[in-house]
Amino acid sequence: MAEVRAEMVANVWKVLVSEGDTVEDGDTLVILESMKMEIPVIAEDDGVVAQLKVAEGDVIQEGDLIAVIE
Amino acid sequence: MTVVSTGSVESPAAPAADPRDPAVRIALLLDPDSAVPLDGADGSGVTAVHGLVGGAPVVAYCTDARTMGGALGAAGAMRVVEAVEAAVRQGCPVIGLWHSGGARLADGVESMDGVGRMFAAMTWASGVVPQISVILGPAAGAAAYGPALTDLVVMAPAGRVFVTGPDIVRSVTGEVIDMDGLGGPDAHARRSGVTHVVAADEQDAIRRARLLTGFFTCRDAFDLAALREPRDLRALLPESPRRAYDVRPLVRGLLDADGGFEELQPRWAANILVGLGRLGGRSVGVLANNPRHKGGCLDALSAEKAARFVRMCDAHGVPLVVLVDVPGYLPGVGQEWDGVVRRGAKLLHAFAESVVPRVTLITRKAYGGAYIAMNSRSLGATATFAWPGAEVAVMGAESAVGVLHRKALAAAPEEEREGLRARLAEEHRRVAGGVERAVAIGVVDEVIAPENTRLRIAEALARAPRTRGRHSNIPL
Repeated sequence: MAEVRAEMVANVWKVLVSEGDTVEDGDTLVILESMKMEIPVIAEDDGVVAQLKVAEGDVIQEGDLIAVIE
Repeated sequence: MTVVSTGSVESPAAPAADPRDPAVRIALLLDPDSAVPLDGADGSGVTAVHGLVGGAPVVAYCTDARTMGGALGAAGAMRVVEAVEAAVRQGCPVIGLWHSGGARLADGVESMDGVGRMFAAMTWASGVVPQISVILGPAAGAAAYGPALTDLVVMAPAGRVFVTGPDIVRSVTGEVIDMDGLGGPDAHARRSGVTHVVAADEQDAIRRARLLTGFFTCRDAFDLAALREPRDLRALLPESPRRAYDVRPLVRGLLDADGGFEELQPRWAANILVGLGRLGGRSVGVLANNPRHKGGCLDALSAEKAARFVRMCDAHGVPLVVLVDVPGYLPGVGQEWDGVVRRGAKLLHAFAESVVPRVTLITRKAYGGAYIAMNSRSLGATATFAWPGAEVAVMGAESAVGVLHRKALAAAPEEEREGLRARLAEEHRRVAGGVERAVAIGVVDEVIAPENTRLRIAEALARAPRTRGRHSNIPL
């Protein structure tokens, strides 16, 4: 199980996966917007998206849980 | 574990098959048959030798994990002092192989005094000769601070570095953790930043130490002829200027493919990349904002990481290449309270004081205080280049327009507002943030074609006087 957490405060701009999706290492899960940058959040393991904790438009803080991959 | 031939190191301790034998470990490190003992075996628990790495002279020392877990007594610590002093006299790198439980309890205060002298010797050698540490097993207490005083720390999977072990931690704080969790390679690669390189196994750790040593002993000139072939580096960036990306392919593309790039502290403060590689055969230090992490923003930790790297390269005469794509310093209460001012000042100080050739390339954008900190013209860059379309500004055009034209934008009819904002941003970019303006006022020397980047950077570095800083490399 791998937790994907936010590295910085950001807006959730796009959510590209849903719970239950199969993802591979390197796949983009969501795209954050911060400091005028579009910052992809990338899976660092192969697996299934067990939990997805953010929705488009959310504001997330550093350390917030974005997704859990199993 | 496989044992490689031990025949190259003369050791009275028998042609041992024990992989923890210092003779075995030192033989892995040095060129075949190059080891010459500093002096005879003395039961100090530390072996020290002269030898060669890639044909260049070095001094190496290794704790003997076979006796008392490699614990350092007064005599062992003094043997390390002799090794470091020998390297300073010879002006060559010194490499330590560590597997030690710390100070010898039986030696009491004497061992603490010896270890303190060892720390002092390492500090006096800091910035004078390169010092590299390889952690092959436990390195606790004294054995932790020794490597921490050196320039670079490589950890094998069995490496464990901590001041106080799990038992004491549990008895004092109640925290339950094993040695690996507390001070294993992952802990120091991701959380503490203590280790620069994590190796796959013991042989790999020693191989990486040889590679790192080679970056410091490289005396080759830049081979400019080898860099004339165009290489389209801009194709390695995303089309959208707002899109974050991993800067590693760009760094690899910039450097020689066969030069053995080694990124340092890759998983700690990853929003800045620092590493050693070669450009036209000459070793260079590379710093690059990595937008893949935190959008490439500088922050407290990344500024400190970069500052130490700049000072290390400056002290040892390794020229610097700085790739800039930075949206600014990361805002936040946490950052301010983490000392982004105090730690960010270290990066300003490091660049401004450094005298090695150092060339900056702005690939996409350089905003605000982070622009200044990334080896700007104002801090004394040898040369500053930019790719076409790069922006140098106090802040991004959209943000600036929002501040400068707030009233005009508010007064505009809703349906025209976005068009007006885009026009104003374009105008602002041209007069205040465009690279042409930066060239006109002299903060960027020249806009260069991306495909000629390797050659242009190497030419600028090669033209500059071959100097090095005269300062220590305090472990910032």
